[in-house]
Amino acid sequence: MSAPAGGVFGAPLKRKEDPRLLRGDGRYIADLKAHGMLAAAIVRSPHPHAWIRSVDASAAREDPRTIAVLTAEDLPDLPPLPCIDAEETTRPFNQPVIAADKVRYVGEPVAVVVAEDRYVAEDVAELVVVDYEPLPAVTDAEQAMEPGAPVLHEETNLCDTLEYRIGDPDAAFEAAPRVLAERFATQRYAGMPMETRGAIAEWDPRAEKVTLTTSTQVPNAVKRDICASLGMPESRVRVLVPDVGGAFGVKIQTYPEEILLCFLARRLGRPVKWIEDRWEHIVATTHGREQFHDVEVAYDDEGRVLAIRDRCVTNTGAYLQRLTLVEPFIGVAMLTGPYDVTDFEATAHVVMTNKAPMNPFRGVGHVQAAFTMERIMDTIARDLGLDPAEVRLRNMIPPEELPRPRGLANVLAGEIIYDSGDYAECLRRALALSGYDDFRAEQEEQRRRGRLLGIGIGAFVEETGLGPYEMGSVRIEPSGQVVVHTGACTSGQGHLTTLAQIAADTLAVDMADVDVRYGDTDLVRWGVGTYASRTAAIGGTAVRNAAVGVREKALAIASTMLEADVKDLELSGGRVSIVGSPAGPGVSLAEVAAAAAPGQPLPEGVESYGVEATDIFHPKTNTFAYGVHVSKVEVDPATGIVTLLEHHVVNDSGTVINPLVLDGQVQGGVAFGIGGALLEEVVYDDDGQPRNPSFMEYLLPADGNVPDITVEHMVVPTPLNPDGIKGGGEGGAVGSPAAIAGAVADAIHPGRVTATPITPARVFAALVEAGLVEPEAGRA
Amino acid sequence: MKPPPVDYAAPETLDAAVGLLAGDLDAKVLAGGQSLVPLLSMRLAFPDLLVDLGRIAGLDEIRESGRHLVIGAMVRQRDAETSEQVAGRCPLVVQALRHVAHPQIRARGTVGGSVAHADPAGELPAVAIALDARVRVRGPEGDRVVPAAELYRGMLTTSLAPAEIVTAVEFPVDGEGSGSACVEVAPRAGDFAVCGAVARVSTVGGVVAEARLALFGVADRPLRAAAAEAALRETPAAEAPGVAAALATEDVAFADDPQIPAGYRRQLAAVLARRAVAQAVEAAA
Amino acid sequence: MSRHTITLTVNGALHTEEVEARLTLADLLRERLDLTATHLGCEHGVCGACTVLVDGRAARSCTTLAVQADGAAIRTLEGLAADGAELHPVQQALWEKHGMQCGFCTPGIVMSLVELLERDPQPSGEAITETLGGHLCRCTGYVKIREAALEAVRLSAQAGSGTHTPEAR
Repeated sequence: MSAPAGGVFGAPLKRKEDPRLLRGDGRYIADLKAHGMLAAAIVRSPHPHAWIRSVDASAAREDPRTIAVLTAEDLPDLPPLPCIDAEETTRPFNQPVIAADKVRYVGEPVAVVVAEDRYVAEDVAELVVVDYEPLPAVTDAEQAMEPGAPVLHEETNLCDTLEYRIGDPDAAFEAAPRVLAERFATQRYAGMPMETRGAIAEWDPRAEKVTLTTSTQVPNAVKRDICASLGMPESRVRVLVPDVGGAFGVKIQTYPEEILLCFLARRLGRPVKWIEDRWEHIVATTHGREQFHDVEVAYDDEGRVLAIRDRCVTNTGAYLQRLTLVEPFIGVAMLTGPYDVTDFEATAHVVMTNKAPMNPFRGVGHVQAAFTMERIMDTIARDLGLDPAEVRLRNMIPPEELPRPRGLANVLAGEIIYDSGDYAECLRRALALSGYDDFRAEQEEQRRRGRLLGIGIGAFVEETGLGPYEMGSVRIEPSGQVVVHTGACTSGQGHLTTLAQIAADTLAVDMADVDVRYGDTDLVRWGVGTYASRTAAIGGTAVRNAAVGVREKALAIASTMLEADVKDLELSGGRVSIVGSPAGPGVSLAEVAAAAAPGQPLPEGVESYGVEATDIFHPKTNTFAYGVHVSKVEVDPATGIVTLLEHHVVNDSGTVINPLVLDGQVQGGVAFGIGGALLEEVVYDDDGQPRNPSFMEYLLPADGNVPDITVEHMVVPTPLNPDGIKGGGEGGAVGSPAAIAGAVADAIHPGRVTATPITPARVFAALVEAGLVEPEAGRA
Repeated sequence: MKPPPVDYAAPETLDAAVGLLAGDLDAKVLAGGQSLVPLLSMRLAFPDLLVDLGRIAGLDEIRESGRHLVIGAMVRQRDAETSEQVAGRCPLVVQALRHVAHPQIRARGTVGGSVAHADPAGELPAVAIALDARVRVRGPEGDRVVPAAELYRGMLTTSLAPAEIVTAVEFPVDGEGSGSACVEVAPRAGDFAVCGAVARVSTVGGVVAEARLALFGVADRPLRAAAAEAALRETPAAEAPGVAAALATEDVAFADDPQIPAGYRRQLAAVLARRAVAQAVEAAA
Repeated sequence: MSRHTITLTVNGALHTEEVEARLTLADLLRERLDLTATHLGCEHGVCGACTVLVDGRAARSCTTLAVQADGAAIRTLEGLAADGAELHPVQQALWEKHGMQCGFCTPGIVMSLVELLERDPQPSGEAITETLGGHLCRCTGYVKIREAALEAVRLSAQAGSGTHTPEAR
């Protein structure tokens, strides 16, 4: 697919989105107001596990400030929120829209109250009296699997066990000269966008229609769920997406509040708004990552991995939500990353505990897989006295063996087939970019002076460009404007610019003449949304295909207008002209659109009115982006404090639409990884109480925590879509914890790193245990 | 996360403010609000009445009185931090303030508020006890002066009576040949300190003449490292950091915390005492 | 629950409002005056998204009560390049350098950098770091925000010296 003259595809253009937002004309959900609008507040469980004996809303209802109260009693027969099941053995531990007989995590919704504004709504929420009978809670996944543990649902907390096996791991272990066994653990943390969730529901009595404006990534899915919950047909429900202040996966879910607001709006006949506050967000919006891998690794004296066994346990919290099973699955299925390991077996336990439910966020499962696999590589290297980079090179799947089916299939996307890539070349470039060899020399020198420097590598492969499909449509308006509709959404990824670049490139028009619209289920019927690094690859391909269709039709119309053969025509500067004479005779796209407008006979050879096309692109399988991160750190031996010195990434997301935007995605992802490696954790005490539900204690990385991040783009296109795009929204978050962990381990060797977050207290303990440091003040 | 209903008054005189506090046990002083307003928003505090000191004249001055620098209670942290007078007379106050949250918080937060809030991880309370500051207070009985050593009683608790208001804090002016430092460990710049130390040392001829050292973030209140201070007197400057490290944590009972084991906090305290004294000694030279 | 009449200037315009004591300055701006560019990310003073200028100083509007702002002069993002005026160098620099993604944290960062440059047109790296330290961003990883801050200094100096920096599309 060669692009006509346009020059915008692949260019680091400034974003179309920015001037409006910079001037303060952003309209995020909390900014929107409607006539007669009311405010809702949610009454949430203070207990991690309890029977609900009764919900007494009478005092709240009697209060003149209260407009409405809804409890489970008012909403009988409401279906639970959906979950994509892996297989029939999954227990249906789905979340109810509102708790009826039991609560299973602190923050679970029990009632909703409505008042004139949020201040008053919070006042009257305090008047709802819930009689709870607290039950013992369980927060540790292994304990939750023991007989006698408090059971959240029925019979067992073990919701599902996924099992995978390829090759003959038993034989490989038998024959292996060396075996290592270790547990690698990742903590619970969360996507934590700067904007919390929120929604406004409005009832239009004339259209008998509910409109929900919600901060979401998946408006069409939310619409489906509202239709199911309210028992309303598709034409009577509309979902709109405002400006979204970050999502990262936590807004892929349909949440209880979205359903409750629709009921309220319909009942009250007035718009009802709910904006989540930060406390609510930390306790009740989905979390991720909490997973450990007990691995056994068979390897030989050259550092070649022969086989891996993985027993993986994911602490998924109290309920299954839409995509809860993805994290347990990807954690094991993508464990071997870029490495050639064909004897592999894994068991992934999905365990319920009294914590908030888990759902994918940026990097889901891949982060833990890469962390585990890269720690394995470093451990092997240390054991054999080999350089960690060399061990990796010896194990990487060579590019000529791709595409390669892995023999594993996915909850969401089907069979895993690594499509294309050159992992070893990526590693070599990352070593060069980061000055790896020079650093080794410096590290030696500084160690003699008592300074602990370390360098670590984080290689990964990641599922991107997930299906099932995405919709794109393009049309040329009578003014010559190009309008693009996409089923994708945006929450900062610059899609309004990158998708415009595709259309502008195909049609050779100015970026200013392309308008990308999204986020309205009345406009975009068959959209899916933005997550799993899919928009550029799948949404972009749909736009490309649609734009190509428009281009073909425009040329066909122009050929009749200009009485020239289509093959002698070209597009440039918004006009169709003869090849080689862009300034010569021709017609503008506006004139082409006018020629195909109804109210006149169709141009000869043209079969329908309008210059537009729609494509719904179904990728055969998803693509696999990959990359290598290199982190350089210094560890202060007296305090265990880790200072990140530099971070380098060689990232291959296939063809790049806008390198400036992709850099931003990778750098933003690295900051996520820094948070996950060193700072972030949603902490619960043993009784199931959240311990750090504020930004004072949930530690997002700040400017001072992030070093300079250099990003180099490598491009091995995917054969799975015409432009060869793979997807780059998540890779930054995937390889970074592995690289940082490797760097710290390198600095504190023989001290070890097998878990995140790598807090100073843990580093110090490792240093003391390794005999590298004597505590001051004499006592341990 | 909206504050609960509350009344508000902004009296124009100190006595009027005291009167309001004396008349209502659930009244709270509102200074900069950077600690109180978040508590209101989180509905962790339910005062009846907020008594805003912001309209009372004379509480926001910085002046000298004898050998003391007197910083009015309503002096914004940012103003104290950028004051040449404070930097010249009592630089430890400036050094400590640079660690307090961020400039956008210090624009509103006050010196008096910090001193009175008694956060055990707070920098200014540690400076106050290290330097034997004196806290001027107005109450229903009139004015009194509370030595900092008698002020801090526990977590967020002072010895002040319910209707007493801090009006100013007097810091002794640094003498010749002294240097100071504030060092702390926090996960991110501006976060509450996990552990910290403030030190002021004066040297004569390469030997410590006087040392003041206090720790914060180690207990339910800032702690003066008296044993270390005593040992530092007449110690050669070059050995002072080591002496501080060895003795600063003597008699401190460190509590275990799920994230920060007691032994690790002890380690931090010792290391930070060492570093604070080292930096102070260097500044004194 | 007491109510109070306050008068304050916002972006140069005088406003008189009757407010409950508990109303935050942020909610006064957002809900009463429809100036919604000042965002709420945490409502406890940490994230910085709500930062506005109060009497010329960058401060959190979520931890300031509206009653405390009686008599104050407030500046918000909307006042910077109002009515289609040329973007302020800080805004222009963030655009050029891709220093924003979702845009939610951006207004607070803009106001803090505006204050910094008004106070010191040639700030040190340390001063820039100290200013940015008061803001959380979840999207950018800060690298391009830092680059934008330096670019803003450069653009500001250019503008100050009389060289016109055209607003590119």
